[in-house]
Amino acid sequence: MVASLRDNDELQLNAYCDGELDPVSANEFERRLANEASLKARYARLLSLRQAVRSLPQLEIPANLQARIKSSLDAERSRNVTVLRQRSWSFQALAAAAVFGAVISSSVMMTIEQYGQREGVANQVVAGHIRSLLAPQPFDIASSDRHTVKPWFTARLPVSPQVPDLAAQGFALLGGRVDVVGHDPVATIIYKHAAHTLSLTTLRPGQSVSEQTIAGYNVRSWSDADFTYIAVSDLPGTDLATFQRAFSAAAPAPEIK
Amino acid sequence: MSVRVVQNKDERTAFDEVFLPHLPEAYRLAQWLTGSASDAEDIVQEAALRAFRGIKNFGAVNARAWSLTIVRNTAFSWLAKNRSKKVVYMNDLSAAEQHELEYEGLHGTRIETPEEIALFKADAEEVQKALAQLPAQFREVIVLREINQMNYRDIAEITNAPIGTVMSRLSRGRQLLMALLGDRR
Repeated sequence: MVASLRDNDELQLNAYCDGELDPVSANEFERRLANEASLKARYARLLSLRQAVRSLPQLEIPANLQARIKSSLDAERSRNVTVLRQRSWSFQALAAAAVFGAVISSSVMMTIEQYGQREGVANQVVAGHIRSLLAPQPFDIASSDRHTVKPWFTARLPVSPQVPDLAAQGFALLGGRVDVVGHDPVATIIYKHAAHTLSLTTLRPGQSVSEQTIAGYNVRSWSDADFTYIAVSDLPGTDLATFQRAFSAAAPAPEIK
Repeated sequence: MSVRVVQNKDERTAFDEVFLPHLPEAYRLAQWLTGSASDAEDIVQEAALRAFRGIKNFGAVNARAWSLTIVRNTAFSWLAKNRSKKVVYMNDLSAAEQHELEYEGLHGTRIETPEEIALFKADAEEVQKALAQLPAQFREVIVLREINQMNYRDIAEITNAPIGTVMSRLSRGRQLLMALLGDRR
């Protein structure tokens, strides 16, 4: 069925009655109401229907309903308590066990959760690397000059890492890009080793992930006082280890600003 | 144990602040959705228990809409359990029938609401009967709008339907109501 003009009018009329038209549309509609007798008649009908429905007698809420609800909630609570009391154990022992159990399970849960989050981080970093390889260029700023890349990061991010050029050690600086991990923009430095591209993503410290392979890319991660570094590449793990040594030796902790 | 009691007390306080203030409205909604005062009592009581158990899920945004959503859903599962033949469910109908109902009216004919028909002087009993005859999806939007006086956005949230659907159901439901009241003359 094709929505006729009339249907549209009907919707507008209802929305106008319900005070749901925006001021401009409401104004327009009022002008039409003043000029179109049939629209005006339908409006009056709608209002009288509303009046009829609104003037229906309303039952008062039974006086004891609230009290009954409250006592049913009390019953619910005491049921929970009774279940515990019925055990033959002493109450205090049970309470202690419960608290102990809660502490243990919450710390286990926290560990599991953190672990899950961290592995999520590794996945996001690898995804950033893969995406960069699919793009025309793996970097937002292309420069083999560390004095270009570092200020570029500084202008965009609250904290930025040192950007050493490791060409002498076999890892030539290609440039930098901003990745998003979680909801945070982070600095990623791109190096080239022979025909291989290596992404080094820098996170707030304390987020190291385990050495692993995701989607065919090797992941190696380490931390210093200022950053957690995650290196991603299709290079073998031994080359990533060489890269880590070279980077750590060349990148002293950033000076305090 | 003390941990648990404190927790219970917190949940009770939250329940008292979030759900209890809307009790009269919850009762009215349940009553008009089911058409029965005694059903409404049972529904509100069950909804209160559900709200209490789920109080941790309350997102501190709109206590009224949150509470009425629970009442509405409780009322519908209540109706499904104790369904009478009078209640028509949209989901029971075929797609063609649903379309017919949403767009063509109750009996397959396009509803005409001639302008010359006089304004409603229907008495309360007539209106009440007509409202009870409406398919549940239309009745609930009209009740939420006219009796609970909620805006479209809250109605959409409570009935879990897009605002556009709320608008067309309101318009359609009112036309159906007019037709039902007109038939009585």
